Amino acid sequence: MWYYEKKTQYPINIKKPDPRMAVAILTQYGGPNGELAASLRYLSQRFSMPTKETKAILNDIGTEELAHLEMIGSMVHQLMDKVSPQELEKLHVDTMYAIHGRAVYPSDSNGVPFTAAYLESMEDPIANLNEDLAAEQKARATYEYLLKLTDDPDVIDPLRFLREREVVHYQRFGEALRIVQETMGKKKFY
Amino acid sequence: MDEQTTLLEQIMAYDFALYDLQLFLDTHPSDENALRDYKMALEQSENLRKQFQSKYGPLNARYLPNTTCWQWINDPWPWDYKGGMNNVVL
Repeated sequence: MWYYEKKTQYPINIKKPDPRMAVAILTQYGGPNGELAASLRYLSQRFSMPTKETKAILNDIGTEELAHLEMIGSMVHQLMDKVSPQELEKLHVDTMYAIHGRAVYPSDSNGVPFTAAYLESMEDPIANLNEDLAAEQKARATYEYLLKLTDDPDVIDPLRFLREREVVHYQRFGEALRIVQETMGKKKFY
Repeated sequence: MDEQTTLLEQIMAYDFALYDLQLFLDTHPSDENALRDYKMALEQSENLRKQFQSKYGPLNARYLPNTTCWQWINDPWPWDYKGGMNNVVL
């Protein structure tokens, strides 16, 4: 189970609205390489993990991804908040406004709603962990694209933090894969 | 930066260090150095948390200050900061 802590994992304090950047970042909320997909992927796969280390790492990274989902949602909210419909029209984000107003909705940047088809959960821990390694790299690449789309330090700072976390998670999943392979090797279980 | 934001960001820094160490310890459960760092950061975080909550209210609903009203719902909520807690538009 979970308890809520009344703080983000890393500060989000964006002073200058930028609706186009909000829509770009939205893909990390409900898009294919986003934080919601990441969290559900790891929190679902943890039930199939065979060792105490790998149960823990899937559980704990899945939990951290929920904190990242909140950071991304906060960024989208602060980049969109109180921008006038006229301004949104000028910036060509009026189609998003027509559907959701200035709300935060789990979709990608094109408005395609979130789907569980973005993730897999199999009984095979080797298959799961290889998916997880790829997922972390795809999220890292996405954060690098997003970093090229802004020069606002209030936006760059948390995006760099999130990019760095993908690298750390990749490292931990690599260790988890090694642990699973060693354990399964010992059991002569192929 | 106002004192409330400064204090909260210190807690956030220690709590982040704790979470990063937690992930490391998940795959390196016998690493004594990491465990020692975890204990140190935990102590720091808990001290700062006590200070923060007594001055500015709960960080989670289990902190119950000695008042007759439910302070958990009070602003600011984390997604509203926009340049620091003093700038929250209610």
